[in-house]
Order: sequence, then structure tokens, then C-alpha cells
Amino acid sequence: MNPVALTWILAGKDLKIEYRSRQAFLTTVFFALLILVIFNFAFDPGSPATREAAPGILWVALLFPGIIRLNRSFQLEMEEGTLYGLILSPADRGFLYLGKLLANWLFLMAVDLVVLLAFMIFYNFSFSIQFLWIAVLIVLSALGFSAVGTLLGAMVSTIRTREVLLPILLFPIILPIILPAVNGTQEILLAQEIQSLNRSVELLIAFDVIYLAAGFVLFDYVVAD
Amino acid sequence: MVVALYGAFLYAPTEREMGEVQRIFYFHVGAAWNCFLAFFGVFLGGVGYLITRKRIWDHLAASCVEVGVVFTTIVLTTGPIWARPIWNTWWPWGDPRVMTTMVLWLIYVAYLMLRSSLPEGETKYKYCAVFGIIGFLDVPIVWFSIRWWRTIHPVVITSSGAELELEMIHALIVSVIAMTVLLVTLVMLRMAMSLNFSVAEEMTLNVRHSDRRVEGV
Repeated sequence: MNPVALTWILAGKDLKIEYRSRQAFLTTVFFALLILVIFNFAFDPGSPATREAAPGILWVALLFPGIIRLNRSFQLEMEEGTLYGLILSPADRGFLYLGKLLANWLFLMAVDLVVLLAFMIFYNFSFSIQFLWIAVLIVLSALGFSAVGTLLGAMVSTIRTREVLLPILLFPIILPIILPAVNGTQEILLAQEIQSLNRSVELLIAFDVIYLAAGFVLFDYVVAD
Repeated sequence: MVVALYGAFLYAPTEREMGEVQRIFYFHVGAAWNCFLAFFGVFLGGVGYLITRKRIWDHLAASCVEVGVVFTTIVLTTGPIWARPIWNTWWPWGDPRVMTTMVLWLIYVAYLMLRSSLPEGETKYKYCAVFGIIGFLDVPIVWFSIRWWRTIHPVVITSSGAELELEMIHALIVSVIAMTVLLVTLVMLRMAMSLNFSVAEEMTLNVRHSDRRVEGV
């Protein structure tokens, strides 16, 4: 079977499952909103220091719910035992990885855009062209996040402490994604010199490629029995 | 190692500006170089295991992680001890070397946590190998991204590029070599320990197996 078709079908399957009961989507969005609100209480709302911290707050609210998605992505496979069925397909396991990755990425992008909207409202940023640039950053960093996260999520799916272990494994590794993303968001929202924004985007693309390549190669070892 | 100690404390003259605290430098540099070397050992062990499926590579990786995390802890504790009197800060955020070492420490600890939460067996060695490989590939990326970020947000602290007198260079080289030898020795000892463990495991399994056979008659 055409491996690209396999990738699409796999991603489509995952997304359909999520679409039919929107519970996971809503829970994830709600968790992110909760984080935004808690930070609102944690810092003095009026002060300029909070405004400067706002990009960081956005990214915390985007990253932690992402972990929920990654765990859930393999949880269903574990519970129903469908992973074996997938492994039996003749295509290279790397395409299995890409299928899962695509589903995670699209799901996360959907969640992130809703959270971004809420963030702009809570922290009083105006809706302008800025919105689009941050969306670009979100798209790119969600890709890198999903790339490493799908690999590690598959690894920890059999472990009881997976909810705690996955962030411990994931966050040190994706630090190079977080730095340009937060920095780019800072540039856009706080209107400093925009020139480093291009660099942020370039770096994100470069790191995404590296993580994707590594994940594609290594996923075989994670899933094979 | 004894020679290195002598060199660090008695042989090298007291540094002009910083005083006695500078002597930490001798251990700090050796430990820092070695914690990255140990992580390279983890990478080698991971690749070796995935290619050959021989347990010896996993022993190498596990031993390097355990010894490496100790060396990294040494770096991260001697660093602030040195930094406080010199730079007046315990922790210089934004310095690429400091941050990369911190991330390395986090990856080491994450590896150990992964290792301890997996049951013994092929899966464990495979997963740890994969994580070790991805971690090692990540470290240079982390270094570059922090350095880039640092050029955007320049930090006030500048590193002290002190000139070294000849005796200091001697002491430094000796201590770096000594630390490397220490690393290799510790890794080898740890590997021997792992091998003994696995031999003991096998013997236990064999005993149980033969017990069952006797009963089954």
C-alpha cells in the first residue's frame, strides 16, 4: 500500500476519533485556558512586568496541554491493542510515525489557535497582522513538539507513570524549539526590532527537520517487538 | 589523581585576581569535559545496542549515564561556588555553557528515570538506547539555540578570559587527564558491576528453572 496514503489514513483515523467525541479537544483547551487564568492571578495584572512575561505565559499554556494530547494519542492504542494491527501493515514503520505525528500536529494546532485567541483577549493584545505571525510560530513549533513527542509518547505508553515521565523526558529535548518560539512571540507582541523574527522562524524550521529525521529513523526501534 | 590534586593545590601559584577560589577551575574543567565525553559514551552504547543487540552496549550506556550524571553534578555545583565570589551571582542565566550543562543534567536524570521505570528486558535496552541517541543529538542543537538566544538578549556577565601562567597550564592539563582517567575507571568498574549483576540474574533464573523441572517430574 502506498505509504503516503497510509500516513493520511492513519492521521485521518486518529482525527476522526477525536472529532466524534470532542471531549479530548475540549479538555485540552480547557486546561490551557485554566493555565492562562491562573497566571493572571499569579501576577499583578496591571504591571508592565506581567505584560513582558506574557509571551512566556502563552507558551507555558501551549506546551503543557500538548503533553495531554501526546499521552492520549497512544493511550487508545494501548487500551484497544490496535498497535499490533498497525505494526502488521507492510509499510515502513517510519510512515506509521508520520501518520501519528500528523494527527498530533493538526490536533495541537487546533487547540493552540483557540488558546491564542483567548490569550490575545485576556492579555489585551490587539488583533492585527501579529496574529498571523504568531500562528506561523505555533505551526512550526507544534511540528517539532509533535515530532519528538510522538516518538517519546510511544516509548512511555507502556509505563504506569507516563503522565509524569513524558514531560521529564520531553522538555529538556525540545528546549531548542521553545527558545525561538518564545523569542519570536516576544518580538511580535512587544514590538522590538522585528529582524530576529526571521531568524526564529529559520531556526524552528531547521530544528523541526532534525527532529523529524531522527524520529522517522528511530520510531522503528520503539515500536518493533 | 593524586598528582592532579598536588598540582591543583600546591603546584599552581595563587591566581592574581581571583584568589584561592580559582583552584576549583582545575576540577571544574576536567569534570565538564568528561560529562560530555560520558554522554558520547551513552550515544555509542545506544547506537551499538540498536545495531548489534548485544547487552554489553547497554551496559556501557547505563554505566556512562550513572557516572556522567555524577560528573555533571560536580560541574553544576563547583560552577556556582566559583561564580558567586567572582561574578556575584550563583547562576548566570543565558550563558550557553551553563545552560547546556543544565540541560545535559536534565537529560541524564530523565534517562535514569526512564531506565528505572521500565521492566528488565529487551524493551528497556531499546528504549534507553533511543533516548540516549536523541539526547546526544540534541545537545549541540541546545548549545546553538542558547547561543543564538543570547545574542538577542545580551547578558551583562562576561566570562573571565584569564591568561594562564605556565605552571597553571601544567596543572590544568594534568587534572584534565586525571579526570578523564577517573571517568574511564569508574565506567569500567560500573560496567563490571552490571555484568556481575546480569550473570547473577541468569544464574538465579537457571536455578529457578531447574527447580521447576525437578518438581515437574
